[in-house]
Amino acid sequence: MKQDYFSANNIKYIDYKDIEILKKFLNPSGKIMNHKRTGVTAKNQRQLAGAIKNARFLGLLPFVAK
Amino acid sequence: MENNSEDLGIEPRIYEVGYLLSPSISLEEMPVIYSKLKDLVVSLGGEIISDEMPKMITLAYTMYKVTQNVRNKFDTAYFGWVKFGMSADKIGELKKKLDIDSNFIRFLILKTVKENTIATKRFIHRDSRRKMPILKKEGENTASLPIDKEEIDKEIEAMVAI
Repeated sequence: MKQDYFSANNIKYIDYKDIEILKKFLNPSGKIMNHKRTGVTAKNQRQLAGAIKNARFLGLLPFVAK
Repeated sequence: MENNSEDLGIEPRIYEVGYLLSPSISLEEMPVIYSKLKDLVVSLGGEIISDEMPKMITLAYTMYKVTQNVRNKFDTAYFGWVKFGMSADKIGELKKKLDIDSNFIRFLILKTVKENTIATKRFIHRDSRRKMPILKKEGENTASLPIDKEEIDKEIEAMVAI
């Protein structure tokens, strides 16, 4: 993923309910990937991290995957 | 804070409440609680934009909530959300009321945008569309050329006739 995934797919607002998209940016243990790995712009990376954290709070994504 | 007071009363802000309901609620009770939440939003001057019926989901991790000195453990829950416009001074009241409600395991109030923000469906189509033309291009070029010529001839004739 070298290009910004969200601008490539014309996603302006990263929704915490879109867990299929958010899962792409988690590593196998459930941590948020580094922006160097994701290739996402700094602005979108911040939004992405926020969305993942919201999804975690509501039990949609794990804090730690076993 | 100054900006907040300016915003008040001018235009309602768009909020979204995502919530988890206790799995002990029966399927018959579910629509009642669901409509109660919507009524609560409307009673506080909110305007509902979109929502989704609570659905049973398996939680990604076990949650605990203490109600009446009993520690409850949850592995599944009903997850639902409501998106609405509401003035910023009323959202605190909504939070207080949801805090009291024992049917809710958790809820999350977010500021959001009016447009539909879920992109999953749209996005699968896009990927498949993008791949298709690349594969077809080589075969299509030979087939499409004669059709183009005919069409161009017709267009020219139409132009000449005028």
